[in-house]
Amino acid sequence: MYSAGLMGLGLFLVCLDQGQSLLRVLRVMTVAGSFIVAALLMQIESEGRDHLLLPAVSLIAGCGVVFLWRLNPESASRQIIWMLMGSALMIIVYYLVNDVRDLARYKYTAGVGAIALMVATMIWGQEKGGARLWLGIPDVVSFQPGELAKVLICVFLAGYVADKGELIRSHSKDSGLLAPLALRYMGPLLLVVVFSLAVFVLLRDLGAALLFFGLFVAVSYLATGRKRYAALMTVLFVAGAVAAYYYFPHVGRRMAAWLTPHADPYGAGHQILQVLFGLAAGGVSGVGFGRGLPDSLPAAETDAILAVIGEEIGLLGATGLMLLFVVVSYRTFAIAWQSKDRFGALLAANLGIVFALQTLVIAGGLLRLIPLTGITLPFVSYGGSSVVVNFIALGLILTVSRDCRPWPSQRTPDNNHRVARPSTVVMQILDN
Amino acid sequence: MHDLSNGIRKLVAWPLAGFIVVCLTLTYWQVIAAPQLNHAEQNNRSERMRRRVQPGRLLTRDGLVILDAREGLKGWERAYSDSEAFCHLAGYNSRSGLQKTLSEVFYAQGRYAHVWEDILHGRQTGNDVYLTINSRLQQRAHALMRGKRGAVIAIDPRDGALLALYSAPTYDAATITKSEEAYNVFTYDPAKPEINRPLQGMYPPGSVFKIFTAAAAVDAGLADPGKKLHCAGAERIAGTLVRCRKAAGHGDLTLRRALADSCNVAFAKLGDELGPDRFRSYVKQFHLLDAANLPLPTSTGRMADFKGFKGNMQLVEASFGQGATLITPLSIARLTAALARGGEVIQPYLVDHVQTPAATRLPSGRGKKLGRAVSPETAQAVAGMMRSVVEHGTAGVADIRGVRVAAKTGSAQNPSGDPHAWFTCFAPYDEPVVVVTVLVENGGSGARAAGPIAVEILRAALETGT
Repeated sequence: MYSAGLMGLGLFLVCLDQGQSLLRVLRVMTVAGSFIVAALLMQIESEGRDHLLLPAVSLIAGCGVVFLWRLNPESASRQIIWMLMGSALMIIVYYLVNDVRDLARYKYTAGVGAIALMVATMIWGQEKGGARLWLGIPDVVSFQPGELAKVLICVFLAGYVADKGELIRSHSKDSGLLAPLALRYMGPLLLVVVFSLAVFVLLRDLGAALLFFGLFVAVSYLATGRKRYAALMTVLFVAGAVAAYYYFPHVGRRMAAWLTPHADPYGAGHQILQVLFGLAAGGVSGVGFGRGLPDSLPAAETDAILAVIGEEIGLLGATGLMLLFVVVSYRTFAIAWQSKDRFGALLAANLGIVFALQTLVIAGGLLRLIPLTGITLPFVSYGGSSVVVNFIALGLILTVSRDCRPWPSQRTPDNNHRVARPSTVVMQILDN
Repeated sequence: MHDLSNGIRKLVAWPLAGFIVVCLTLTYWQVIAAPQLNHAEQNNRSERMRRRVQPGRLLTRDGLVILDAREGLKGWERAYSDSEAFCHLAGYNSRSGLQKTLSEVFYAQGRYAHVWEDILHGRQTGNDVYLTINSRLQQRAHALMRGKRGAVIAIDPRDGALLALYSAPTYDAATITKSEEAYNVFTYDPAKPEINRPLQGMYPPGSVFKIFTAAAAVDAGLADPGKKLHCAGAERIAGTLVRCRKAAGHGDLTLRRALADSCNVAFAKLGDELGPDRFRSYVKQFHLLDAANLPLPTSTGRMADFKGFKGNMQLVEASFGQGATLITPLSIARLTAALARGGEVIQPYLVDHVQTPAATRLPSGRGKKLGRAVSPETAQAVAGMMRSVVEHGTAGVADIRGVRVAAKTGSAQNPSGDPHAWFTCFAPYDEPVVVVTVLVENGGSGARAAGPIAVEILRAALETGT
């Protein structure tokens, strides 16, 4: 309720700033309303459900809509429609999936579907902004299959590891220190690394490559409980990336923009420099809402929206937003480790990894920690596919949370599982 | 099952560490590296930000707007009024004059920002800058200096406020920025109109410098106004041949008479008697070679170091304002003001106050007191001798009805042609409220070329009550 109120206030301020009619404000308020409806609908349901995720996500989404409205009211209106669609799908997923384990049966369907989507994009994909990420009828309808593929891969990996986990574990248990070097382990590991690099080089999408790679590393760790696989994969991936730097010119250009943006300030280094100039102009408290210069930022509505936020509401605002992302990621992981079901736990963990990694990849890219890559900031950036799919993923996570062990207040004395403490406190504050 | 739960818990540390790194990096770019990024060469944000802000105006103390803001095609633009009289103050673009040095004030940036005030009122407006300049004096100086090259300075010696700061020749900001051709004509003009002569011009001070030598000698206890001196017209002092402006010589005369008649020989002897160390220390105490602490570019003075085998010769030449000494007109005005206010040096100031759009006055610097150069008795004695210059000496032009003026003239030899005409004065003698210093490049006699202008400015200042 608070989040909806805050969002309404934010939008009211924007409209005041731009001298727009109150009618449009009301239209925007419907999003805030939809979150309340969603929360109420889910409130009726079980006791185990997470009470913090939805408010945190609605705050993030609200912040996104407010800033999109400030950048371009038309995009914001479209984003609102997608958010409504996403919320509806989230509720449908939540009510349709009675038991999350039912999904496990479709793991191969999901896996094949994901690969089919990726291959289809490679063949028929439309290029926009240097990356081939779109599928559909040109100028009529198009979506980013990569977004949907992420969720499908999460479902597939969760199902596969839940099923075969014990087998993988028993295989890896008997091996010694040099076991990772044995051929039968090298095969699948190399396959995964090569797949990630292929996404990077062929689709020119470093963000997705990092995302898939991080997911595979994390899943291999969860499946085997051994860190050395993760380490080995990382070494191979970095080696592959270095090789790509030397052999593929577009990779080299991307790296040069990252390492030496000042060398080409009006070409390759333009975007990252403008992002950093914007952040620097913002300082601690920001230049003020609606007073920044987002028109000097390429892709301000999508990839670089965090830079606009950092410029206008400063370090305080941007860090606050990051904390909300921490809350969402942390709650997702908490749901994963509290889940009674192996598949549910893995699914929530996978979705949590994708969510956190996606946030970190775009934030890290904008902050010049890693090469900048076109990827959305979940729930904030403008983009229909991203918003809708993220809401579906949220629906899945909430479905998993239904089967969690009860919340501390409802715990019986003999149930001694550690539950995330700080989040429960925040939960009680937010959820009333 | 339990293993999986533990594995997930351990995994959480990685994204959490990632978020911490992101927040720390955010802090790095937005706080630690921000000043460097904000001033980066490729960063044109401040320039673009500026066009959206309605810049503050520049006004004289009496409220005349000399630099205004008007809305143009590409955002806010500058509008100049009475540019020829005020061009060296207002400048001609954002990279000249006070527009450059006070841009933070005009565009409400940095410590002059008032973001919340703007947000509450739904506007972006800069701050107005009020100068200490009196528009009537400045306009009068412009009228009097027409066709001449030089500088006019008026200071209120009581607080150091600059009442007029005028440089000739001038230009019209709107005209020279109209076309590239006009701008080229302006920059290649041999008269160099872009130089702000009162602050940047470097001139030999000539005879006006004698008030300094007199003050130093009196303060050091070597002389009093009645001290007996002798002038033979041309004498060899410390190995230097010094010629007096009166070829036959003044014969026996007092120090008072020597200043009134501007006798070079007498002052050469005084300087020689003072010696290089005391001479230098008084130069320092009067801050003669120091730049002015103003928001406009200023030059520092230059003087020989009085060392080596030519040291004595240099000292003797410096004593009557010739030789290697080069000084700004502002230094002479500051010296005169120090003597007018009893020996205490004051740094002139130009910005009276800054006013935000909500009419809040922001504090700005007053004339900073730089310490005592000579005793009040010395200052009194030199002021008395300067009065005699008006009553019985070269500055008779300033002997006007109704007000007692103290003054000193100068005609400085220079390599570029006729002597530079100097005139520095203050009034009223008993209770000085205004100091005027005028320099006319190659004007010839100080009394004839610079004197009447100074007297006119003095009159105007006393009429308007500063």
